[in-house]
Amino acid sequence: MRVVIAEDLALLRDGLTRLLRDNEISVVAAVPDGDSLVREVEAHKPDLAVVDIRLPPGYRDEGLRAALEARRRVPGTAVLVVSQYVEQTYAQELMADRAGGIGYLLKDRIMHVADFLEAVRRVAAGGTALDPDVVAQLFARRRRDGPLERLTPREREVLGLMAEGRSNAGIAEALVLTVGAVEKHVQSILSKLDLPQSATDHRRVLAVLAYLQRED
Amino acid sequence: MDALRRIATDPATYRRLAYLLSALPLGTAWFVALVTVWSLCLGLVATPLVIPLLFGMAFMTRGFAAVEAEIARSLLRVNAQAPRLPAPVAGFWARLRSLFGPAFWRAQAYLMIRWFVGFPVSVAVLAVLGVVGGLISAPIWVPFNHDGAQLGIWNPHTFVQALALVPVGVILAPLTLMAIKPLAELFVPLASGLLRPEPGAGVAGAGRLGLGAQPLYGGAGPMASQTLQPQPDRRRGLAAHAAVDGVVVSVLVLIWALTSLGYFWPIWAVLPLATALGIHGWMVSLGERPEIVRRFAGSRALAGTAGVAAAIELFCIAVWAVTSRGYFWPVWPLLGLAIVVAAVAVTVLVGSPRQAEMAERIETLETTRAGAVDVQDNELRRIERDLHDGAQARLVALGMSLGMAEQKLAEDPERVGQLLAEARAGAEQALRELRDLARGIHPPVLADRGLEAAVAALANSTPLHVSLSVDVPQRPAAPVESAAYFVAAEALANAAKHARADWLDIRIARIGNTLELEVKDDGVGGADPNGSGLIGLRRRVEALDGTLQITSPQGGPTTVYAELPCA
Repeated sequence: MRVVIAEDLALLRDGLTRLLRDNEISVVAAVPDGDSLVREVEAHKPDLAVVDIRLPPGYRDEGLRAALEARRRVPGTAVLVVSQYVEQTYAQELMADRAGGIGYLLKDRIMHVADFLEAVRRVAAGGTALDPDVVAQLFARRRRDGPLERLTPREREVLGLMAEGRSNAGIAEALVLTVGAVEKHVQSILSKLDLPQSATDHRRVLAVLAYLQRED
Repeated sequence: MDALRRIATDPATYRRLAYLLSALPLGTAWFVALVTVWSLCLGLVATPLVIPLLFGMAFMTRGFAAVEAEIARSLLRVNAQAPRLPAPVAGFWARLRSLFGPAFWRAQAYLMIRWFVGFPVSVAVLAVLGVVGGLISAPIWVPFNHDGAQLGIWNPHTFVQALALVPVGVILAPLTLMAIKPLAELFVPLASGLLRPEPGAGVAGAGRLGLGAQPLYGGAGPMASQTLQPQPDRRRGLAAHAAVDGVVVSVLVLIWALTSLGYFWPIWAVLPLATALGIHGWMVSLGERPEIVRRFAGSRALAGTAGVAAAIELFCIAVWAVTSRGYFWPVWPLLGLAIVVAAVAVTVLVGSPRQAEMAERIETLETTRAGAVDVQDNELRRIERDLHDGAQARLVALGMSLGMAEQKLAEDPERVGQLLAEARAGAEQALRELRDLARGIHPPVLADRGLEAAVAALANSTPLHVSLSVDVPQRPAAPVESAAYFVAAEALANAAKHARADWLDIRIARIGNTLELEVKDDGVGGADPNGSGLIGLRRRVEALDGTLQITSPQGGPTTVYAELPCA
């Protein structure tokens, strides 16, 4: 797997590079700003761009914009946005652009190295990795008397992990369940929420997120 | 000479003069009303009728004090505040007792002082002004007056003789003006000491009887914010005043009718009460209708002074009309008042460029700047404390875990794993706390995506039912945006935490150069507008020349309304 990193803080840029290289992921470029990110993505056509949302010169959302621009120029590039904070607004903007794998994680998650690498691989493969905090925000805005109340606590847990973009196997591992048990929960959730029984994880994430973002 | 010119051109001189003269009708009005109601209370002390009277007395006193506080604030520039109604307490007797707290008696004392001290002073000032006006204008009237000027030792009859009086007037005039300040200063400690709210009083009273916190005599700055005044509250205050007057007058007329039916003495209550009501009404209409102020060259000071002067003159004419109707003496107060109004007009129109308005503005800026600095200081302290107790402590613990792990690396790999996991958890916790702290200082999404997205994110993070309407086509300046954001955030947090609300309505709109924000909930109300959170917000908003208004009666609902100029 080939990765380009965009992160303005040298300490974090080097740390991230070392962490990925230690795990047999090749970092082809590590740059400090959005413009060089676009340039390097065009030059290397990597599988994945890992991008800090806040980059110079404005330190606002330059990373997000640069990542989307890079992906417009090199379609199919997976983008994993990392940030010191997560906002559902940005998640929505990222998800709106469905031309390849998308990830949006707090930088804190990098500390859970195994989980983080799993998310990196998933996004590079075209999947989704949404931060649990974003998912929590999506859950929080659902009304207390809404259809989510019909789910059992376990089903809500499973739904959260589905929204994060995990596969059934990933959910099973996180919750220490068998894959079969997870499948049963998933069936039950989808039918309780009137969602289509999609074959692929990817479509399933989209359906779940669309459901959670829906106004009602 | 220079000092004299300064006194004569200082608008404060005429504000103080207006304050002194206002005791004439107002002091009389309060005296008549209070004496009437107290007498009735004494007379009916053995009957149940005394109860509603006592309640009426409590409300009336606070209403009168609200008018006086407003006048003292705008004319004397003291920090006088209407005593608020105490927060309702359970139990009838407890409620009655709470109405007669120290604030009530202080207000009573002030109202009485306005009569016993203010009235003679105002009569004396009016008399001296009349004399000065008479001396200066002597050449105009002396030749036409049959008796000439009766000065006792000398009796000038002709124009030329009268001319000799003019310099005396000209010398006396500045001396009179010089006396005004020390006279008015007498009342400054009284107004600030006696007119202040009881600690812990609810806000409802201010809305019901008070006149809000806005000076009536505003300059250019406050012009923009006049419309922010809770107008229904001002009108309600006026209506309450009129109602109290009506009750007092009807009681007096009733007593008159039941007793002598002879000389209609209640007229002596009607005249000052009507004058005071008229002044109050004029103040309210100035606050509500900027077009009136515009007719007075845009100066509320001039409009206010003209109104007070007209009321005092009408009062004098009415007194003349109901008494002897002989010699038309109200011409002398008219002269004095005309001089006052003319002097204010001169300072407003041709005085150094909008001096009065600038003075107002400086005053507002000084207050709001002090508030802003205070807010900032508190904020920095809070951040320091949060850092010290939170992230810093966590990093120390994390370092300790790592140090221990290093020590045990060789002998106890299992314990090392544990320590490293602890260290990671500590780092995560520290990050989380730092993130919350950063968000509390300035939420990143606000800078990146503007008010709508930031408030939507707030709304999303709460389990309340939030209906959000944002109509801000053009982004306001960053400080305005962030003030509006924090108002919304605080209102939302209060609604969820204290008001136990289920439902919240947030409306943000930019209308012209004003950003309006309104947050309404369906909670139980009772928010303390003097709580540290809301005070901080108010100062933050006022530092931007905006206004923040919180109505939160016991039982709810709570409405937070802010207006922020964003030119």
